[in-house]
Amino acid sequence: MNLLSLSYLVFVPVVWVLSRLIRSTRGRQILWLAASYFFYATWSLKFLAVLLVSSVVNYALGNYLRRKPTAGRLWVGVGFNILLLGTFKYLPVWSTQLGPGHLPGFLENLILPVGVSFWTFEALSYLFDVYREEELDPSLTEFCLYLAFWPTVLSGPVCRLPELLPQFRNAEPVWDDITEGVRRIILGLFMKTVLSQMLGAGLRPGEGVDFGFNQIAHGWTGADVLILALGFGFQMYFDFAGYSNIVIGTARLFGIRLRENFRDPFLSTSPAEFWTRWHMSLSFWIRDYVFLPLATWKPQVWWRHFALIIAMMLFGFWHGPDSTYIIWGALQGLFLVAHRQYQQLERRTNTKIPAGLASIAGWAVTFCFMLLSWVVFRANDLHQAATMFKALVHFSGYHHFVLSRNFVAMTIVIAVAYFMVAGLRRLADNLKQVPAMSRVGWALSPLMYSAAMLSIVIMSIHKAVFVYLQF
Amino acid sequence: MTEAIKEMTDYIARELVRRPGVEITSETPLVSSGLIDSFALVEIFVKLEKLTNRRIPAAKIQPKDMDTVCLMFATAERIGKPRQ
Repeated sequence: MNLLSLSYLVFVPVVWVLSRLIRSTRGRQILWLAASYFFYATWSLKFLAVLLVSSVVNYALGNYLRRKPTAGRLWVGVGFNILLLGTFKYLPVWSTQLGPGHLPGFLENLILPVGVSFWTFEALSYLFDVYREEELDPSLTEFCLYLAFWPTVLSGPVCRLPELLPQFRNAEPVWDDITEGVRRIILGLFMKTVLSQMLGAGLRPGEGVDFGFNQIAHGWTGADVLILALGFGFQMYFDFAGYSNIVIGTARLFGIRLRENFRDPFLSTSPAEFWTRWHMSLSFWIRDYVFLPLATWKPQVWWRHFALIIAMMLFGFWHGPDSTYIIWGALQGLFLVAHRQYQQLERRTNTKIPAGLASIAGWAVTFCFMLLSWVVFRANDLHQAATMFKALVHFSGYHHFVLSRNFVAMTIVIAVAYFMVAGLRRLADNLKQVPAMSRVGWALSPLMYSAAMLSIVIMSIHKAVFVYLQF
Repeated sequence: MTEAIKEMTDYIARELVRRPGVEITSETPLVSSGLIDSFALVEIFVKLEKLTNRRIPAAKIQPKDMDTVCLMFATAERIGKPRQ
């Protein structure tokens, strides 16, 4: 069962009604856990078995660590989770790259449990928090629910137990939760099934980002590469931010507030700001549990830069063991370091650039870098990425497209519309104080949601798959 | 301690805050408000160890423990060990 299926549309209301009928906290937790395990088991019983083992072992490791929070005990827990992730996520890929016969047969045939990277990072954050002597006392049911909670189990957001535990104990949805939850779900469905789908698959066969990257064999012009980078950046954003909206909205129906995962990342005016707006739950996880402990290990400035590059490479590696992800991470780290150097130079030389100009220039540099770095992330291999970058510096190729004109126009329209909507939203926020304007917003909402629902229904004939499920 | 808190507050306002011109006090939320980035957090950590003359185990610290200058010093007091 996935979040776009009709069965999910039945599953959520049934669990919601049942949880309204059960008054005791423990009873509700058991219901949610059973619902989560049922949801996960619809993917595969084997996946559920791995999740169960991870939950029980991590719970036991947490208790062992709580009795004596030493670094040695923490490393036992970290080691277990790295082993689990390595075995199920990385080993099968390496085994394929090595070719048959290099590993025992059962290791070559392992299947990647969907969401394993997300819930393993949640388990790790629990162990780190116990080591930091946070006051956490989950029961086994609560801990298992934390890892398996069905809205987040497939693709996050990567949650933290200190935020969820009080909510598992006291969540009581009010009317605002329901309306906000439904609004987020509709918005998420629109982003995912309409916008991301249009960019990914195009409107006709032979169009779309996927076709552009997979089918055009080394024939890209510089203009094609720019459009593909733009298209893929927005496809990823609408796909994953849309998914996150559906997840956050579903949890909100039950009175649970999850952490946000995206906050208008393409409006960022620096790379440091971008990483506080894009896949925030993972970005903050890396900051809190990898970068800060590593960067403060040695006092030298070069070490901090090195730690940042390592942390961002880990961010890339989290997506998979492919060299494209690791190089993408290293590029992000280098860009962050370069931005830091620029900031320090600005302070040292006491350079005063007008705030408006600095914001525009910062936005343009950040946006262009992020889009171009998506080429490395999305390319099927490094050779393809290199070919596409070569096309970028062939200036004679900018006067024509290999991509279909429909797709080029659609990508530009969607990108421009994104910035227009972001601008209008800011304007609307400023105008909210004016009562007449808030009435206009109230009157327009049903029209906008009806249009969104209609386009969701029309586009749902295409089979949509979440890009982030593969991680 | 008051001197050290003042020195840290001035250092953050002068060297680390993203938005120039923002008034920083010892109670201003820094991490949760987005006024400082991860790099600045590390620089604050190093400065905190110097000002308090304590070794602070980084793995035991969360960004929320460093959200205001007052919280930083309380955290250093709580989990830092005096340097020999």
